[in-house]
Amino acid sequence: MSARPSKAIQAIAAIFIPCACREEVLGDFEERCTSSLQYCRDAIVTVPLVILSRIRRTANPQLLLMHAFVLYLSFYGAAWFKSPELLYESWGRVRLAIPGAVTLLALVLEDAYAKPGYRSPLRLVRGPLLGFAWTILSQAAFRASHSSLTLPLWIVLYGGALGLLLTSALRMLFSPPSTSPQGPI
Amino acid sequence: MARLDSIGQFEQLVLTAILTRREDAYGVTIHSKVEELASPKPVSLGAVYVTLDRLEDKGLVKSWLSDPTPERGGRAKRCYRLEALGERALEESAVTAKRIWDGIVEVWGKEWVRAQSKEWGKRLGKEAG
Repeated sequence: MSARPSKAIQAIAAIFIPCACREEVLGDFEERCTSSLQYCRDAIVTVPLVILSRIRRTANPQLLLMHAFVLYLSFYGAAWFKSPELLYESWGRVRLAIPGAVTLLALVLEDAYAKPGYRSPLRLVRGPLLGFAWTILSQAAFRASHSSLTLPLWIVLYGGALGLLLTSALRMLFSPPSTSPQGPI
Repeated sequence: MARLDSIGQFEQLVLTAILTRREDAYGVTIHSKVEELASPKPVSLGAVYVTLDRLEDKGLVKSWLSDPTPERGGRAKRCYRLEALGERALEESAVTAKRIWDGIVEVWGKEWVRAQSKEWGKRLGKEAG
């Protein structure tokens, strides 16, 4: 055993493995490594399960539901103020759910990849900020490929800002599980 | 006493692997033991990680990081050991398995046991050879 995998492959694998279990998973890969190809196969098969397991440990379904609710409310409120006709368009209300879903995904991944036990006010805002950035990027991507799924820019900005405020407040009130001792440290 | 959740077959395999590896129970060794126990079914390393996380959340096992070793590129191992609840869960599983075995023997008889033992012996011999 133990042929050394290339540094580049190890670095790529390290990017995808959540911080909380990176050390031991990379160590196990290295110990099992017989060739670079086998290392890649191990990483491709194992890392998705490691990520899912970490998400299961760090995501709180009730808190996620609350986040989903306030995010949808933010974009719905912004649409109601800025262009209420969107609410009556076909698929209008579904389009309003897309930015919320993208932000939610960013929050889930941020919690899964956070350092366990590391607690700072910045960490609580980082997820919502990342979600806001992803929302803008996803809208830009949709504009290029599926323009029927995009929202007017003002709704994205107002809804995103309101969602940022509300989700940050929720995260301050109900600390995400990854900041609690849950999970191996 | 803490409530004991029922555990699945794969969880039983992982707990048994931790029990048999004693001080040397970490990802790679647990996976190889589980593969041996589950033979001929293949077992992925990812499935073992997921199960270890779940068992830890249930309070059946405890984990800690060991010192880094050079054969792992200077990286630490996450070692596991059974908690009292884990030992109890495994004990209950063993008792249930024994009852299943006794029930089968009662109906299919001692001849079947002998035939199975021969079959397992052949299979183990092939794997070892």
